[in-house]
Amino acid sequence: MVISKAIRDQIEAENANYPRARGGLLAALHRVQREYGAITPEHATALAPIFDMTAVEVLAVVSFYDMLSSQPAGRHQVRVCTNLSCSLAGAREFLREIENHLGITRGETSADGRITLGHEACLGACANAPMMRVDDRYYEDLDTESARQVLDALD
Amino acid sequence: MATAAGVACEAEIVRITVDGLEYRLHAGPSLLAALDQIGVLMGEVDIPHYCWHAKLSSDGSCRLCQVEIDGQTGLQTACNTPVRDGMIVHTRSEAVVRARQTVLEFLMLNHPLDCPVCDQAGECKLQDYAWRYGAPNSRSREPRRKLEKRIDLGPGVVLDRERCILCRRCVRFCREIPRTGELAVFGRGDRSVIGLFPGVQLDNAYSMNVVDLCPVGALTSRDFRCKARAWQLESVEGVCGGCARGCNIWLDVAKGEVQRYRPRRNDAVNDTWMCDAGRLSYAEIARSDRLDKAWIRNQESVLEPVSVASAISEAARMLAGLVAEKGAGVIAGIASPHATNEDLFAFKRLLDEIGTENSGLAVPHGEADELLICAEKAANATGARAIGFEDARSLLERIRGGGVDGIVILGHDILTAGYLDDETLLGKIDSVILIDTHQSSLMRVAQVVLPARHLAEKAGTLTNCDRRVQRVRPALAADSELLTEGEIVHRLALALGLNGFEAGYDLPRVSRSLAAAVPPFAGITIESLPSDGAQLVSDGGEKGAVR
Ligand code: SF4
Ligand code: SF4
Ligand code: FES
Repeated sequence: MVISKAIRDQIEAENANYPRARGGLLAALHRVQREYGAITPEHATALAPIFDMTAVEVLAVVSFYDMLSSQPAGRHQVRVCTNLSCSLAGAREFLREIENHLGITRGETSADGRITLGHEACLGACANAPMMRVDDRYYEDLDTESARQVLDALD
Repeated sequence: MATAAGVACEAEIVRITVDGLEYRLHAGPSLLAALDQIGVLMGEVDIPHYCWHAKLSSDGSCRLCQVEIDGQTGLQTACNTPVRDGMIVHTRSEAVVRARQTVLEFLMLNHPLDCPVCDQAGECKLQDYAWRYGAPNSRSREPRRKLEKRIDLGPGVVLDRERCILCRRCVRFCREIPRTGELAVFGRGDRSVIGLFPGVQLDNAYSMNVVDLCPVGALTSRDFRCKARAWQLESVEGVCGGCARGCNIWLDVAKGEVQRYRPRRNDAVNDTWMCDAGRLSYAEIARSDRLDKAWIRNQESVLEPVSVASAISEAARMLAGLVAEKGAGVIAGIASPHATNEDLFAFKRLLDEIGTENSGLAVPHGEADELLICAEKAANATGARAIGFEDARSLLERIRGGGVDGIVILGHDILTAGYLDDETLLGKIDSVILIDTHQSSLMRVAQVVLPARHLAEKAGTLTNCDRRVQRVRPALAADSELLTEGEIVHRLALALGLNGFEAGYDLPRVSRSLAAAVPPFAGITIESLPSDGAQLVSDGGEKGAVR
């Protein structure tokens, strides 16, 4: 089973709270991505009937959102916010330095399968830019050095 | 067919004003749908649109259909604004003109403008509307997006992502009509593209309709690509002969050949669709196995080519000899469900005047579906039955019993499942006269072979599965040695000296006699038939023989 029974049960229970069958899709996509690192075509096929959609529609939704990915990804999702206020506070240079440090560019996964790097907008932490999200955790008021420490500590 | 718009019958009638002219139409549907229902959209009322289509759900994504409505702030999209009584609509106000220009300017920002090499040029709504409603110059200094120019979506359809204006008609078609849902929009904003699920193809029985639906050259037919330019084509109204539905089509002709079939809208038959198999069946017209000359079997038992006139005299000589020797009861006829009502009526009269009751009809069968495709794989089996041809199986029994010495066969449908596996049985008959459009193994047992015109080469009418009589016109000029089945049997009747066949085959006269002689056809003549057809008079009168 591409999606475990436990996860599937959770998704179905949560979807019951929405008035329309497709209402809970985004929450489910986040859950699958968290669990499996990506929402692959196989995941989309498994999810589609729960939401009364076709698999291609599910995949199209995935493609709409930057924070969702259909490509198999690393164990950790690292996202630097590059929206306007973060960019004014140097987020773009910051992102480039992280790319240099990891030896990959945005959208790529490190060779050891540890980290998938990306950028995102807007994570709502403008006051504390530059910032990045590692999976579900925010790291704010970063500089290159503090970011390196966080990244190097990831398993 | 039942359509979303079909609910309008019970809806109340309202009056609205568009650019100062008053219209009475059904409340309920959108302004565009209501104007389309009364047949004025893009005629008297000019509201350009991309995403809206009469037979699909409305999307409201292209924003081109904006109009001004008195009492409402801002412009409204006509494709999803319901009609209300007393509505006053303006389609030519300054605000509307400006809005259209803006929408078109945005659509053009990323459009590759490769019209010189684009198949759609000449029938492209982006060209047409940009010309009619767009601003004369581009203000953009930005580079255009670069995308894939040739993606094979499936066996019939090719996608050019640069040309796509994201109207989503193709996406909605696949979800709503064949309900296969292969396509979707991937990505967001100016990175949106049309795409498929990985590993899946756009491959359903109706897939090529997306080519007609696509307002631009983003979706093209793999079969038609680069074959002809739109302005070289002459379009002739016709009917597909692929199955009993009789989908209404355009036959697009250039360089003396049919280049493609396209569906022609008829809400009572095929809406705006046709199946892929029917669409591609035009290829049979010029196929290498077309019969293009007459043949007679000579002393050495070999078929040799002769003129049509001598083949007809030879056929008449054989039939007359048999009748004189053994009586009319040894003569039989097999009708073709591909022939027109007029051809079949002439054939029925030939058999009646010879004085034989031995006749039959063989109809090839295949898969059917719930949309258009019918199990009967010929356009006029219903017409043949209405004219009095019954299933050929009992005739075959008679032939097996040795009761038939001469037979006139239209087409080779008798060589189909349920009838004959091969021509062996017919080989027992002394005189086999074959009249057909294409070669078949029946030629091995025929003494006389006569070539007949294809549906694309003749005028006549066909009766579809719902008993609707529809007209075909010649899209191609046929050579003088190529006659219709009707004219061939008429000449045969003249050569036999039969009663009631006047010199010279006159199709309108045959059609009038058919209307007079066969009750279900009462009042239906080729000259009075509207371009969307007419229903046979009574239901179930299929065994009604010629009076
Ligand atoms: S491919 Fe054609 S029909 Fe489909 S969205 Fe693009 S422009 Fe519209
Ligand atoms: S459904 Fe039948 S009549 Fe219509 S296009 Fe297909 S084969 Fe032709
Ligand atoms: S036709 Fe109305 S928005 Fe496209």
